[in-house]
Amino acid sequence: MARLRRARRRALAAAGAALPLAILLTGCGGSTGITAGPLQTSISGTFANLYVLQQAEQGNPRPSLRSLHTRASCQRGTPATPQDGSGNWLCLITYEIAGPGYPVIAKYKVDVQTDGCYAADGDGPASVNGSPTITGPHYVQLVNPLSLIDGCFDIA
Amino acid sequence: MTLAAGRWPVYAAPAAGERRSGALVVYRLELLKISRMIQVRTMAVLGIIGPFLAVAVLRVQSATPGDTAFGQWVHESGLAIPMVVLGFGAPWVGPVLVAVVAGDIFSSEDRFGTWKTILTRSRSRGQLFAGKALAALTFAIALMVLLTVTDLVAGLAAGTQPVVGLGGQLVRAGPAAGLVALSYLSDLPPLLGFTALAVMLSVISRNSVVGIGGPIVITLVLQVVTLISLPAWAQMALISTPFQAWHGFWAQPAFYGEFLWGLVTAAAWFVICGVVSWLVFRRRVIGVAS
Repeated sequence: MARLRRARRRALAAAGAALPLAILLTGCGGSTGITAGPLQTSISGTFANLYVLQQAEQGNPRPSLRSLHTRASCQRGTPATPQDGSGNWLCLITYEIAGPGYPVIAKYKVDVQTDGCYAADGDGPASVNGSPTITGPHYVQLVNPLSLIDGCFDIA
Repeated sequence: MTLAAGRWPVYAAPAAGERRSGALVVYRLELLKISRMIQVRTMAVLGIIGPFLAVAVLRVQSATPGDTAFGQWVHESGLAIPMVVLGFGAPWVGPVLVAVVAGDIFSSEDRFGTWKTILTRSRSRGQLFAGKALAALTFAIALMVLLTVTDLVAGLAAGTQPVVGLGGQLVRAGPAAGLVALSYLSDLPPLLGFTALAVMLSVISRNSVVGIGGPIVITLVLQVVTLISLPAWAQMALISTPFQAWHGFWAQPAFYGEFLWGLVTAAAWFVICGVVSWLVFRRRVIGVAS
């Protein structure tokens, strides 16, 4: 009985020590490594690759990666939210399909996990990333590569 | 006569002609015991047919596990399937499976009251510890190798189309198969860390419920902790993080920072748990009525 009580007291003490530690860590332990910079680099590169794939699968002429001039701008929550950490980000990806003068902006709701992997859900324009499927040659239905984008960047 | 732990009279030493080390004898015996366990045999059967079952299930339904990386590609390429299985299962299935063996390997002797019997054989505590710990590690390695092979074969059987990587790039079947194998094997270091943890709990508690249940509870707690936005260094120090390090292999350009940190973390957990287990085991008083 005494042994059990001692064990319970010890467990309580451990929990009591762990809780403030966890709060301390989340509060002021430094960056989570999840910031706009690496996310923008990762998602714009991934988007460009998948855009080329989408065009190829639809039987359209294959654009060159460089000519797309893809760039991204990401923000976590509102501008007042700390721009560091996992959770919901919003990314605007700009690319050029008809020369420098004609930028297109694709919008993504990005759920970033704590390990630097993210799932970006297409939020318009509907013709680019709105539908989960696209129609390939001979009316075959294929997964739309731009509808849901999975990617990862290094947080270490 | 009283014997200090670890110090044995001369007659207990192996005969001059005997070449086999005591630890090796213990190791072989433990492997034999492990291979006869019904839990282990069930795991082996499930490990072999499970991946093919997963492929079959994904084949017959049109829905995709879209909330996991590679999930949306399972119908496009067979090689996406092992990655979905790994991403979904490795962080909790792996630790649970190794704990079933490693969390029991020391405490089963307590349960059956056989410590006195085996310690009076001509094997020292060091040899017993080394043999048992090595057997637990061997099981973890064998399990991971088995799952790597069966999942890869099941994936290849399901289709060898190019698979979309985590950088949006198309990866052809050959390199993709290599990446699948590499990703699976990259989960081995944290799995060995968990094995050491289970061994430690088994040694300290002398109780298989704690030895097996402890790592399972810790796994669940870590799953919740991973959901919190921790600083990067704290995230890297968790033993659950290295299970996800393979994501970097599939990015473009590939990155290995998380994997290398995972090696350091797993090694630290492994060494600390191993040393604590040995210190506790070496000083344990066995066979004295309390």
